[in-house]
Amino acid sequence: MPDRDNPVANPLIVLREEFDDWAILFDPDTGNAFGLNPTAVYVWKLLNGQNSKDDIVKKLRDAADGVPEDVPKHIGDFIQSLVNLGLVGYETERTQNLVCR
Amino acid sequence: MKTPKSMDIAITNRCNLRCQYCYHFESAEDAGTDLSLEEWFRFFDELRRCAVMRLTLAGGEPFIREDLREFIDGIVKNRMRFSLLSNGTLISDEIAAYLASTKRCDYVQVSIDGSVPITHDACRGQGSFVRAVNGIRALRRHGVPVAIRVTIHRKNVRDLEGVAKLLLEDLALPNFSTNSASHLGLCRKNAQQVQLTAEERTLAMEALLKLTSRYNGRISAAAGPLAEARGWLEMEAARQQGLQSMPGRGFLSGCGVAKDSLAVRPDGVITPCTMLSHIELGRINENSLQSVWQDHSRLKALRNRHLIPLSRFGFCEGCEYLNYCAGSCPGVAYTLTGKDEHPAPDSCLRNFLRDGGSLPERGLLQNQARQGATC
Repeated sequence: MPDRDNPVANPLIVLREEFDDWAILFDPDTGNAFGLNPTAVYVWKLLNGQNSKDDIVKKLRDAADGVPEDVPKHIGDFIQSLVNLGLVGYETERTQNLVCR
Repeated sequence: MKTPKSMDIAITNRCNLRCQYCYHFESAEDAGTDLSLEEWFRFFDELRRCAVMRLTLAGGEPFIREDLREFIDGIVKNRMRFSLLSNGTLISDEIAAYLASTKRCDYVQVSIDGSVPITHDACRGQGSFVRAVNGIRALRRHGVPVAIRVTIHRKNVRDLEGVAKLLLEDLALPNFSTNSASHLGLCRKNAQQVQLTAEERTLAMEALLKLTSRYNGRISAAAGPLAEARGWLEMEAARQQGLQSMPGRGFLSGCGVAKDSLAVRPDGVITPCTMLSHIELGRINENSLQSVWQDHSRLKALRNRHLIPLSRFGFCEGCEYLNYCAGSCPGVAYTLTGKDEHPAPDSCLRNFLRDGGSLPERGLLQNQARQGATC
């Protein structure tokens, strides 16, 4: 079950991976496309609601050498920029919490 | 690129018109009966897995498909955007409203060839002008982006000023693109009636350069007289200056086929481009699109076409423009010579001058804001 505090990629968004490990994120509703470097592609694939920002930082440190100290800030800024573009969101409250009392 | 970014798909072999210069009919593209929705849906599923982003729907006339809405619903469901190439005559208020409701339509391209029925209908059939303009108005009422393509031929070449006024002033469209009747499909049969003579090409080039300047770059072209005027004036200037060459020229570099898109014929055969519909690369739902894209030897050869020097061709022997020329469209080269690995004779500056054509004044290139267009 996804955690409400964990970021989730918008399922409508298309990830086009290329041979050089870079990729394009394509939003079919707006027609906007965004280039992702290989690290960003790695992070994007972890935005499934199962990983917190800290989980993603840990997995990135485990997967790559020479990860800079300030990577949590970079990851946070990146995720926030995706949220601002409508490419990522967070699980909304459960329906039962929204029932009128 | 692992897979094509976009696809041009001919969704029907039917059309309510028979325009005298249509590239589709009587070409290899004019093939078979329409595929069922189920077959297209299976293919859309593959396109989604291949992360294809955009489809261009053509035909025939795409609005003739009775199931067009279900067809487009399938595109939307598979996370793609789309555009349509149309003669405009079947676009109703209802279908325009539907297109707007999808929020995925990049544009509908409508062909307008004249400022009045007599010039537009000359090649397209009586009544088509009024219906096409009504179609444009319906699209605009619903906020669907409209692109206009003006095909220049012998019967409208003296109406270009009127066409520009109609489109850019009376209908207040932001821009339009131009080309000319090319030696493809039905045009091959009707060449005498529709294809511009050298003298008419000269007239069209001059008129379009003046109009582009007057309308501040709102007229564009990737082929036809306007594109030729710009390209040929550059080539002539290079010759006069005695330049060794121009970047990327002197080779068959005039076409970017198979760099980021492929095409599908109405019968489901995958081809490199609608202009190269005789090259059969495979069939949808039978051959993997990714394998065709990555491994097909004909596509690899087309991608390397820009490495073929024009000096290889007897056709180009002794040409003063050889090092400034790019060989133009392989589709037209094929219909005229039987070879796609050949320069297109129809776009040859030397031939044009030999036939009595003359280039416009170079001064007309000044103050032109250039706009690109697709061929």
